[in-house]
Amino acid sequence: MKKTASKIKKQYRLKIDPSLDKYNDISFCPEKLEQANKTLKAVGLPKLKRK
Amino acid sequence: MKLQKYELKMGKLLKTFEFISEGRKGKILKFIKFEKTGIKNVYNLLFGDKNSKHIDDYVVSNNGDAEKVLATVAEAIVSFTNRYPSSWIYAEGSSRARTRLYQMGINRHLSEILETFEVFGLKDNEWQKFKKESAYDAFLVTRKQVILKHEENSI
Repeated sequence: MKKTASKIKKQYRLKIDPSLDKYNDISFCPEKLEQANKTLKAVGLPKLKRK
Repeated sequence: MKLQKYELKMGKLLKTFEFISEGRKGKILKFIKFEKTGIKNVYNLLFGDKNSKHIDDYVVSNNGDAEKVLATVAEAIVSFTNRYPSSWIYAEGSSRARTRLYQMGINRHLSEILETFEVFGLKDNEWQKFKKESAYDAFLVTRKQVILKHEENSI
């Protein structure tokens, strides 16, 4: 388990590019996000039935 | 089955990803972003070609590597949900054809996807458990353990 966590961390460390974080707060396609919000608001999340 | 994927670069928060598609049209920079929606823990998947400051999610690259590109997007979803295990990912193609392409990708690898994720398809304004034979308008993906929590909370 520990080995797996370290492996994942190492993998992330190798590929992380902090310059990409500048896009976190930029909305590239606001109309698409608005559409997603509209749909999600209308249908919500799946209604799950307990077995 | 081990699918071929492109090497992903990701931001520290693992919400933005980039990779380079290489095919018959040359090298194309691809961008993936998980955007917060108005619903807690639900993120919209934005995916397209990156041109300077713009993301074009309508473009049809036709670079001959659709399978490898989709496998790379799937890898980004795995990385994102490793970091944000309670998240739900909403995905809708920019066109009917793009949505169908996503559906075909899910269809081809459904049994492997279902080992880790639950997949829902939006049909007639209702979420349904994803079935290969149905055509959907959008998709919702989450880790299997999220479903268990979701069920516990709805008792």
